[in-house]
Amino acid sequence: MKLLPSCHDVQTELTEYLEGALPLRRRLGIWLHLLLCRVCAGFLRGLEALPGVAKRSLAAPAKAPEAATLALAQVQAQVQAALRKEK
Amino acid sequence: MTATLLAEPELIQRAAQGDSEAFGGLVQPHLSLFFNGIQRILGNEADAQDALQDALMSMHRDLPRFEGRSRFSSWGYKICLNAALMTRRSRVRIQDMERPEPLALGPFDERGHHTETDHLPEWQEEAQAHALVEKQEMRACLLRALDELPDSQRIVFVLKDLEDWDLDAIARHLQLAPGTVRQRLHRARVLLQARLRSHVLGGRS
Repeated sequence: MKLLPSCHDVQTELTEYLEGALPLRRRLGIWLHLLLCRVCAGFLRGLEALPGVAKRSLAAPAKAPEAATLALAQVQAQVQAALRKEK
Repeated sequence: MTATLLAEPELIQRAAQGDSEAFGGLVQPHLSLFFNGIQRILGNEADAQDALQDALMSMHRDLPRFEGRSRFSSWGYKICLNAALMTRRSRVRIQDMERPEPLALGPFDERGHHTETDHLPEWQEEAQAHALVEKQEMRACLLRALDELPDSQRIVFVLKDLEDWDLDAIARHLQLAPGTVRQRLHRARVLLQARLRSHVLGGRS
């Protein structure tokens, strides 16, 4: 295996790299490649930023959607019906 | 006194005794959070509504055993995620076949290095991303992109990057090798990044 991996290799293995799942020699090769290649370094920055951007974007809205309100109303109706049956 | 004016411990006590109004008052402030967690896993709103209903029934049933060691919202959220994961397991998704297509990377030359590096857009324009978040555009874009993912990749991305599960826990839950989980996570991230890049940069990808 070459010491310096190609851009394709690097971009294919970046999650393995971030998770520390690669052998030392491969990790070093990718680290070196990232120092030298601004495109792959930018790709890595994008991958690293994604969870934060996704969490902020997909956080719960202040108001529950109608489907959620309906689900709660149905459960409340079932609870009341079960209580009436018990009495 | 209406249920909404009572403190949470009292609402819990009343709801545990079968007071449905108290149960509504207890759940309502967290309803959006509960539904959102479920919908991020399932995607489909109708499935999410059914799973939320199951989760709320479980919460109501288990309330007498809720000891208050954690916040009600955290306890309820866990029940919601479990309900979503159960629903996901039970449904058959034909579109969830593993796609053999290669990762959306490149373009590369014959040695696997980038070509036309001057024209490759840089993603991660934080200022633009924040502005889009505020305008709700990023949310819509991400939801669309999540829907395009195969379910096997979506679930890994949601559990790892949105719910902060560790990879071993995801592997155990999905009964997969950790390497397979990392591979699916990478595919999901690459696809989502490509979609966001084209959105943030106004259609360039």
